[in-house]
Amino acid sequence: MIAYLTAIATLVGVRALLTLGLNVQWGLAGLVNLGAVAFFAVGAYTSALLAVGGTPLIFAWPAGVGLAAAAAAGLAMVALRLREDYLAIVTLGFGEVLRLFLLNEAWLTRGANGVTAIPRPLHAHFAARYDVFYLVLVLAAVAIVYAALERVRRSPFGRVLRAIREDETVAAVAGKPVFRFKVQAFALGAAVAGLAGILFAHYLAYIEPNMFLPQESLFVWLALILGGSGNNRGALLGSAVLLGLLEGSRFAKDVIPFLAGVRLAAAQQMLVGVVLVVLMIRRPEGLLPEKPGSE
Amino acid sequence: MPPIAQYVFNGVVTGGILALPAVAFSLLWRLLRFPNFAVSTYLTVGAYVALMLNQGARARIELAWLGALAVTGVVALAVDRIAFRPMRGRRPFSLAIASIGVAFVLENLVRFVWGNDFRSFDVPVTRATSIAGIRVGRDQLLILGVAVAMMALAQAFLLRTRLGIAMRATADNPLLAAVKGVPTERVIAVATLGGGALAGGAGVFLGLDASIDPLMGGGLIISVFAAAILGGVGSAPGALAGALIVGIVEEVGTLVVPPTYKTAIGFTIILAVLLVRPTGLAGARA
Repeated sequence: MIAYLTAIATLVGVRALLTLGLNVQWGLAGLVNLGAVAFFAVGAYTSALLAVGGTPLIFAWPAGVGLAAAAAAGLAMVALRLREDYLAIVTLGFGEVLRLFLLNEAWLTRGANGVTAIPRPLHAHFAARYDVFYLVLVLAAVAIVYAALERVRRSPFGRVLRAIREDETVAAVAGKPVFRFKVQAFALGAAVAGLAGILFAHYLAYIEPNMFLPQESLFVWLALILGGSGNNRGALLGSAVLLGLLEGSRFAKDVIPFLAGVRLAAAQQMLVGVVLVVLMIRRPEGLLPEKPGSE
Repeated sequence: MPPIAQYVFNGVVTGGILALPAVAFSLLWRLLRFPNFAVSTYLTVGAYVALMLNQGARARIELAWLGALAVTGVVALAVDRIAFRPMRGRRPFSLAIASIGVAFVLENLVRFVWGNDFRSFDVPVTRATSIAGIRVGRDQLLILGVAVAMMALAQAFLLRTRLGIAMRATADNPLLAAVKGVPTERVIAVATLGGGALAGGAGVFLGLDASIDPLMGGGLIISVFAAAILGGVGSAPGALAGALIVGIVEEVGTLVVPPTYKTAIGFTIILAVLLVRPTGLAGARA
């Protein structure tokens, strides 16, 4: 039971990072991104492949974060000038095409077999209670990223992003280089998602392309909207509630006998979809709404 | 290896099927001002409704197809009433997110009942004939014929009937149309019903041409999007032309890249169009 709770808490931490990343893009800067899973995957694969190839983690991890940010900056340069409904499909498509790339380009990514035996950091030192050590590592990462993003939110940079979110034209008239700010915000959010991917890959020690389905991006959205976009506390809360929802419904099979396997997974995902729709209709501001004018 | 004309022909059939949801998607986008990601999932709904009638109730496939049209139309209408109507006038992206949620619910409802297995209709096997060296299935010709007829009907409805004209007026300027006495909600209801029926019918075609599984429709969203953008959002003939181009390029493209990259081809088309015209081909007015 302790092992189970530790595993859940670790995954909540990973999801929290993903949600914090999306909160920079959507919550702060108002940038649509339906491909959060893409940057998660870039971080995971970059670090995992480098580490398996013998690169020390101290280089592999920054490389994962860096490549996720670079990929996002590249996509942003092309896509951020688009109207937001077009941006929605372009980011969604980017995530899906990236997954196809991971699946097909086996020479680089090992294809459907996935990357196995990904080294786990400091495993020799903490072998006895490794899962607890890793949980602490993830929680430390969440705490540091949270603190850093709170600073960003209150900084002049964060204020400009919120100004762009509310009215791009006004921000531009005030002399802000809107496009550059948007690209930076998009890359920053993707870097955090990349970090989440790295922690995920080195935790499981195994990744494969179908862990990065488009629905994962939807889960990130649900967590963000559930918690309340625009504030980082909401992103944390939303991630915890989402995983509670997903894991809690797993226990339903003990109560309802015919609910197993494919059925259980389908019922779980239906629940996710229903919650998302109801939330969008009834409470788009989430459980913890952003306080107007909050510093 | 089959001649390139074979790929073009297969592409035309794929494009003909794709055209139905593309037209529905494009018109609904223009009318309601948000991209409805659930439209491609209506194909899945239609295919499974027909499967239920065809295998469960042993109905002929033609009857099952009619049933799929009706039921999918009603499903689309119900979705609009439950999910989208309370959100009218909200930011387009909020509605787009809600539509993804709807697609997710429908897809998993199908998975819940039928599981992940690939299925097919119970139809008599027909032999393909060979025309000028190209293999042509009887089903393929039938699908193409019916798809073209449905498109023609849709276009005639938009151009000739009072309601169709009202629909175009609302799409162009909802406020002006409402002031002039166009019943906005009724127009939306008819468009949703019709759009759902078109997509549901296309789902049966797709099930006949390929196979039936819970992801069959949702997996097409990028191709549908590409067709709509290529043809200009809100234009029915444009969406038809766009769908044919997307269908042909995707099929012929498999000569160059592995078939698993089909989605990437659609994505490339979207990027190419939007890079040339960041607001889309008909985006200036939308």
